[in-house]
Amino acid sequence: MVAEGDRTVCGRPALAVVGQAALLSLGHLPDPLGAGCSALTRSALLFLVKPSRFNYARPTSVEEVIGLLAAHGDDAKVLAGGQSLMPLMNARLARPELVVDINAVAGLGDIEVNGALRIGSVVRQRTIERSADAARIAPIIAAGLRYVGHVGIRSRGTVGGSIAHADPAAELPAIALALDARMAVSGPGGQRTVAAEDFFEGLFATAVSADELLTAVEVPRPPAAARSGFVEIARRHGDFALAGVAVSFEYVDGAVRSARIACSGVADRPLLATAAQDFLQQEDANDPRTFAEAGRRAAAQFDPPSDIHAPGSYRKQVIAVLVERALKAAIEGSDGADEARR
Amino acid sequence: MKRDDNHDGAIVDGEIEVRLQVNGASRRGRAEPRMLLADFLRQELVLTGTHLGCEHGVCGACTVLVDGAPVRSCLMLAVQAQGADVTTVEGLANGELHPLQQAFNEKHGLQCGFCTPGMLLSAAVLLEENPAPSSEEIREHLSGNICRCTGYVGIVEAVQAAAQAGGGAEASVATTPAAAS
Amino acid sequence: MAAEPMTVRSPQYVGARVLRVEDKKYLLGRGRYLDDVVLPAMAHAAFVRSPHAHALIKRVDVSAAKALEGVVAVLTGEELAELGSAFVTELQRPDVLSVTKPLLATDKVRHVGEAVAIVIAESRYLAEDGCDLVEIEWELLPAVVDAEEAISGDAPQLHDDVPNNNVAHIEFATDGVDAAFAAADHVFGKRFHCGRSHAAPLETRGVVADFDLGTEQLTMWSSTQLPHFLRTLIAPHLGLSEGDITVIAPDVGGGFGLKAHVFVEEAIIPLVARRVGRPVKWVEDRIEHLAASGHAKEIVMDVEIAVSDDGRFQAFRGRYIGDGGAYSGFPWSCLIDPLPAASLLPSLYDVRELGYTVDSALTNKCQTTAYRGPGMHPGHLARETLIEDIARKLKIDPVALRVKNCISSEPYVTANDMHYDGGSYIESIELAQELVDYAGFRREQLAAREQGRYIGIGFSPFVEAGTWGSEGARALGFPAEFYDTASVTMEPDGTVTVTTGTFSHGQGHHTSLAQVAADRLGVRLESVRVVDGDTSKATWGAGTYASRTATVAGGSIILAATDVRDKLLRIAAQMLEVSPDDIELYDGHATVTGVPEKTLPIATLAGIGYFGGPLRPEGQEHTLSATRYYDAPETYSNGVVVVIVEVDIETGAVELQRVVAVEDCGTMLNPMIVDGQVHGAIAQGIGGALYEEMVYDDAGQLLSGTLADFLYPSSMEIPSIEVSHLTTPSPTTEGGMKGMGEGGTIAAPAAVVNAITDALAPFEPEINHTPVRPSDVLALVARGPAQRTPKP
Repeated sequence: MVAEGDRTVCGRPALAVVGQAALLSLGHLPDPLGAGCSALTRSALLFLVKPSRFNYARPTSVEEVIGLLAAHGDDAKVLAGGQSLMPLMNARLARPELVVDINAVAGLGDIEVNGALRIGSVVRQRTIERSADAARIAPIIAAGLRYVGHVGIRSRGTVGGSIAHADPAAELPAIALALDARMAVSGPGGQRTVAAEDFFEGLFATAVSADELLTAVEVPRPPAAARSGFVEIARRHGDFALAGVAVSFEYVDGAVRSARIACSGVADRPLLATAAQDFLQQEDANDPRTFAEAGRRAAAQFDPPSDIHAPGSYRKQVIAVLVERALKAAIEGSDGADEARR
Repeated sequence: MKRDDNHDGAIVDGEIEVRLQVNGASRRGRAEPRMLLADFLRQELVLTGTHLGCEHGVCGACTVLVDGAPVRSCLMLAVQAQGADVTTVEGLANGELHPLQQAFNEKHGLQCGFCTPGMLLSAAVLLEENPAPSSEEIREHLSGNICRCTGYVGIVEAVQAAAQAGGGAEASVATTPAAAS
Repeated sequence: MAAEPMTVRSPQYVGARVLRVEDKKYLLGRGRYLDDVVLPAMAHAAFVRSPHAHALIKRVDVSAAKALEGVVAVLTGEELAELGSAFVTELQRPDVLSVTKPLLATDKVRHVGEAVAIVIAESRYLAEDGCDLVEIEWELLPAVVDAEEAISGDAPQLHDDVPNNNVAHIEFATDGVDAAFAAADHVFGKRFHCGRSHAAPLETRGVVADFDLGTEQLTMWSSTQLPHFLRTLIAPHLGLSEGDITVIAPDVGGGFGLKAHVFVEEAIIPLVARRVGRPVKWVEDRIEHLAASGHAKEIVMDVEIAVSDDGRFQAFRGRYIGDGGAYSGFPWSCLIDPLPAASLLPSLYDVRELGYTVDSALTNKCQTTAYRGPGMHPGHLARETLIEDIARKLKIDPVALRVKNCISSEPYVTANDMHYDGGSYIESIELAQELVDYAGFRREQLAAREQGRYIGIGFSPFVEAGTWGSEGARALGFPAEFYDTASVTMEPDGTVTVTTGTFSHGQGHHTSLAQVAADRLGVRLESVRVVDGDTSKATWGAGTYASRTATVAGGSIILAATDVRDKLLRIAAQMLEVSPDDIELYDGHATVTGVPEKTLPIATLAGIGYFGGPLRPEGQEHTLSATRYYDAPETYSNGVVVVIVEVDIETGAVELQRVVAVEDCGTMLNPMIVDGQVHGAIAQGIGGALYEEMVYDDAGQLLSGTLADFLYPSSMEIPSIEVSHLTTPSPTTEGGMKGMGEGGTIAAPAAVVNAITDALAPFEPEINHTPVRPSDVLALVARGPAQRTPKP
């Protein structure tokens, strides 16, 4: 609420309102300013839909990308599939001076299988969704991708783009976390890999610094008894989830071991339900009460935010159900999606 | 530095020429980096069948095929389509109506027509990938294309009818120059 | 007047599932929408809009924008006010205050998105660059975003000349309504808040204006539903005569009532085009559209029903507070929602005691405009969900309760003097019960509950006040003359040109109205061309909205075509040497009844009508053309929407399993198009029930201003929709047609809500707000007395 007589000069009101949150997206998650709606809506106060002027580069090597980022710093923005960045640029919330298009960079579009699954950062989501290698090594990726926007989004959107964008309600970051994926990052100092748990640092914030590039996502080779499941609930099919759960574990002799339960929509980043994981490690998975209790322990860990699509209390309540259903789906080998519906 | 082409690595800081294949023909036009592909198709190439409904990637009206894949042309820059093979709704009919176009007429799959171009192109991709989709598969595939008029009933029926008429296998979309010529 | 048979034989086209003749251009991508209009030397406009809900404008600095290369002009509110006059919305009734809206805000803004300045540039990109450079100094004012609070007397005032922010307080009561409530066995009531909605057609608004400095004539293209009416209403604001303005509505990508208004931008763009001496195009972007075109349907309603022990409705009472937003939509006013909501309170129930009050609040939100089923959709929700609650409390089957109180199929005059022209009110409910196997469903429901599954069924029978002739509009509280005109011309070669003042923007009129003319003239459909959407080509008319076209355009075409038909019959009679009464016009030929060999092509008769000299009957004028008007009497379609849902009581997800509609709109011109209207209307109703809402925070900031937050239902949210028809032709309208485009939107929301209520019956839910979100469902489950059934 504004006080009467409060005077303000607003040449660019939306920017004044949103400030540094200029990394935001079509996500439904509340932004840190408590706007209660998607950041795009919050930014839309400019009523503009065509990008401001920028320069454009289309390098073909990672080295060139790093060089450009080093030279231009925060004024440069990496463009992969554009499904998150372009709406922000159209609405003039993001106003880079230089757009570095990485779609032509050699190697970033490759999928490699060498025990582990290495997904180049500009591999299209639709490509990995239909990849036999991915289906064999990590079927949860395709199960979750079904809920990432729509076909027309996924056929342009990239795996790396979604993960680097780090929307806390997005599917792929949660799946990466559940799979204990490692992110390959290149920068002026060379290459490094970052575990998913260390990668997502906050709202649209990752361990990739301004002069670095996410080059690949590496999914470790699964153990023989690996199981996984993905469920979410959204207002509509294809929307960012109100809440979602990706689980991955070993299922041996009726026991759930080494479970990773990644939850989206619960905080400023996807988080592991560690209390539930620890609980499962001790318990008998054949007891139907076990998964329900795991769900309760997961929910107890979080204090999710509210927005116009659901209050935080709803997200907290439903995360318990989703954890239970994801675990069941993983064991039954069913499509998590159907499980989410019932 | 002004360049005639966005050659690899060089920084483009002004209008350049974009050359690409559209509906099987070589086309060229001018675009500054910020020009959206949708605006380039509509304004530079005067292919106004591609419609803009939101310009933030939600409604799907601006869907075109880029190298055979359905994309939202409001979320892609014209300079990114350099050398690409683009299909718009204008490329769907090949002398006679595409089976999908025929079926949309027969099943009342359109009312105001604004979503129709994007809907047709998304459906065409579906039928190429899956020549006999179930109604559930059709609904899921088309969920990124909003229609405000029809309630999708006629659209889903039309895609099914087109599939039965061989709309996927026999009437390939002009995603390659050869197919369109 | 009685409807005479449209042809001697059964009609060749009316009633047939004729494929649409307009489809091909759309399918080929050759439609020509507003943004496809390109003129030489055309400049592009973008608006600077308010980020604040309520603020004084202290200073507008456009110097930097003006200095930008590529910017042609920048104009502020004060400059616009010198070019043209503000809009004043006044309904022709003394109890409704007028509300003034400046073209661009001058001293103060009243909602987020209100236009403050306009930038004209060589491209839209550059115009937006210019907008970026306009600096505005604001003094913020407290905002009011709640309708009840707005009219409470303590709220910030939006307009100096609208005391208490209340545009109208209207009351209606039968003499005995209070006594009926006092004496009733039971009085049930509920408050229902219908969420703020948005028509949001897939094509936004837009205007192109070309002012010819030589002839001083204006040609303007607008994405509108009412080209002629727009010209009539806009001319005074432009300082031009109607004769100097041509308005063209190109292909229009949906309107749903929103584009049946006149907006300030439709004055601003022509004024600016004249000022800069170049054609100017403005295409509204989606963000502007959501924030600053027209919202709809937000009403807070208190509805009460007096009921006897045996379940008879004895009296209805309602209080309706509409949230009109910051201005009163032009020309229909912000009464467009609350007044029809109240007027149609009786719906299909036989209730003789009736009372209601209507208030129309102004708040710091976008103005409201009509959206499919204006007012009727929220009003229906309040009443039908209350009836559902009553059935549960009285332990009467909700469908039986409705049937018990339903009027008969005969014409009926409601307690507030609405003249229904008869319909299949009970029959449609019974048919719907059969179609869904109602008894079987109840068994299935019980079995499902045993398994911990919650399925439910919701019935929503409706009466739709469509057509909007003078009498129909008056019955809803809008006193003015509304009719339409058509010209029918048989050209010398026998082809037919029909012009109409209505305007097809997706409804397929070029097919359905051609069917009407073809049958009346006995020509083949391919011979008929329908022309609309251009004031220089078509006869004057009020446009297409309020489900009026089949009835008023159809009626006026029947009348005009009958005049032409009479001329043809006289020519044929003379040529075939029989009486005109013995001639049949069918399929392009005039034939003596019972004598098939005595026949002439109608094209030949047409040639005679123009150039036949002595072959033309003595005294008959040259040419074959007629223009007629038609003001349809009151007419009301009816039907039922039934929805079956499954509710996941753990996540609150609602899955629509089945949607069944029974529709009775009298004579159907084209059942395929009728079905399409039902499908689309129901889909929008589902959107309103579960997904779509324009949400503001307490400070008047818009929280659903993009399509990331205003949720259109997709093909995954709308299930297949089964439509059945009953046909009770109107005894009063030409041709027996009744308006039918909105029933689905009126009825579907209550069907969805009632189905959820039914599914959750063990929890004794009472739903009193739409849209119903998953979190709302879980809240109902949590509140309810039933124990959560453990899952098997």
